[in-house]
Amino acid sequence: MARFFRYYGKKRGDRRTGSRTLGSAGEALFFAVFLLLGCGVGTAMFLGSVLPQWRVNYEYVLHTCKVIDRRISEKQGDSGTLYRVDIEIEYEIDGQGYHEVTYDVQRAYSSGKEDKQAILDRFTVYSDEAPGPYPCWYDPEDPRKVVLVRGFSWWIWLVFIIPASFVVIGAGGLIYTWFHWGKSAERRAAIARRARQRDPFKTNGQAQRDFPGVPAGGEITNSPGTKLQFRLPISTSPGWAVFGAAMVCLLWNGIVSVFVVVVVRGHLDGEPNWFLTLFMIPFVLVGIGLIVYFIRQFLVATGVGPTTLEISDHPLHPGEQCRLLVCQSGRLDVNSLTVLLVCEEEATYRQGTNTRTETREVHRQTVLRHEDFEVRRGLPFEAECLLSVPPGAMHSFKSDHNEIGWTLLVQGDVAGWPDYQRAFPIIIRPNDGKGDA
Amino acid sequence: MSDPGIIIRFDGNGRVYRSGETLSGEYLLRSVAPEDVKAVEASVLWYTEGKGDEDLAVHEFWRRSTEDGDFIDSSRPARFTTTLPRSPLSYDGAIVKLRWCVRVRVFLRRGKEVVGQKTFRLGDVPVIRG
Repeated sequence: MARFFRYYGKKRGDRRTGSRTLGSAGEALFFAVFLLLGCGVGTAMFLGSVLPQWRVNYEYVLHTCKVIDRRISEKQGDSGTLYRVDIEIEYEIDGQGYHEVTYDVQRAYSSGKEDKQAILDRFTVYSDEAPGPYPCWYDPEDPRKVVLVRGFSWWIWLVFIIPASFVVIGAGGLIYTWFHWGKSAERRAAIARRARQRDPFKTNGQAQRDFPGVPAGGEITNSPGTKLQFRLPISTSPGWAVFGAAMVCLLWNGIVSVFVVVVVRGHLDGEPNWFLTLFMIPFVLVGIGLIVYFIRQFLVATGVGPTTLEISDHPLHPGEQCRLLVCQSGRLDVNSLTVLLVCEEEATYRQGTNTRTETREVHRQTVLRHEDFEVRRGLPFEAECLLSVPPGAMHSFKSDHNEIGWTLLVQGDVAGWPDYQRAFPIIIRPNDGKGDA
Repeated sequence: MSDPGIIIRFDGNGRVYRSGETLSGEYLLRSVAPEDVKAVEASVLWYTEGKGDEDLAVHEFWRRSTEDGDFIDSSRPARFTTTLPRSPLSYDGAIVKLRWCVRVRVFLRRGKEVVGQKTFRLGDVPVIRG
């Protein structure tokens, strides 16, 4: 056996131990079980529910019957009593009499006695005064199979979601395993690259082919500026920041308030729960912190007017200069307004079952700073400056788990208002070989 | 007989390249019997190192396999040549590092693999201290 599978293996730089073949075989087996389970349950459900219902509607033969008796059968389920309509009927086919208990094709028990009673009330037991015979449909292959109602139940299709999800996971997993089976990381990457180069949805554009690993940044240049060529988009709008802060604040404090009410009531009733009181203190402090953060975000969003940045050229290149226009609206006494060029590395990694992201600032340069000025309503503050990209700057880069991003950061210190910060991402492309090596 | 290995050489012993420049060289399988080789893959690729999970992308990929009818002569050096792309450039950051290399992977009979790689720098982005 060990000749075919290496049980253990080590690869430096890869957090994987164990045989790759054995791992792939295990994966394939796991997904095959899912697929078989989904197919088996799906087929059983089709044969047990859908096919009989289809036959009732398209193959069963219309006939008439007499109702001999009617009742509601009961059965104990996990969540209480379940009920079923049972109608006892008599009918005759080709001179042969039949006596059956039936109603619909499923013959399933369900909760709710009232609706079953309503069905029962529609049928009258046969007598000389009773209304004429009732329609019924019987199976021409087995006349003992008979129903009093036809139609399709929509919920049957809903139940199919469960086996269908098993089939999708199983088949998808098997395709994934087949795609990876016996292929090196480089070969898989080459296949993925060929697929990307086809670019059927034209999402990557020419930029991705010309500068692999560099974000295209199409969304940065799709808004023209009023004085310079492009108006840069803001990374997170202040409105969304307020909305997010409000949601987190409401959720946290909503849950905490339930326990606070219990604690306060205990103290008022003279039966204080000191353990719960002490336990709740850090949660209440976090809640207060969230309220302060929300108020801060709200004040910044409503009190400080919009900040816009316009740029004369984009994308930028190392060593290049371009003009930058910063515009701050509102009605403010500004202590200082600073525009910074910042580069941040971002790394995403898995730790156990968690995915963590770490960022590290590796470059910060002041582009513009103005101090002690006033912004009047209807007369926004405007300042133009030169932005110089450092000659040795790394270009913007983005892959699945690693990113190098450049941002223009506007920081405001406003008298009587919380400090604020607004980020405008930019793309820096490599120098196309001119300054390399 | 010593352990199987791979020797990779760049023409002119180059280690730092500009984007658009030609990278060429050869690789030689060492201590590998020709009848033991099932397939050989040579790639020019970049990969990330550092805090984040590894990302990898190939710029150029060649595969020769005896199953596809290719003749693999492991006793002679095999040449490779490619024009290097404009990005991504080699980078030594604080938590993100980007490396370029030529990697050769040899698939032997009975499921064994031998991997050899030689790194080079693309571009001259300075090292980040921190």
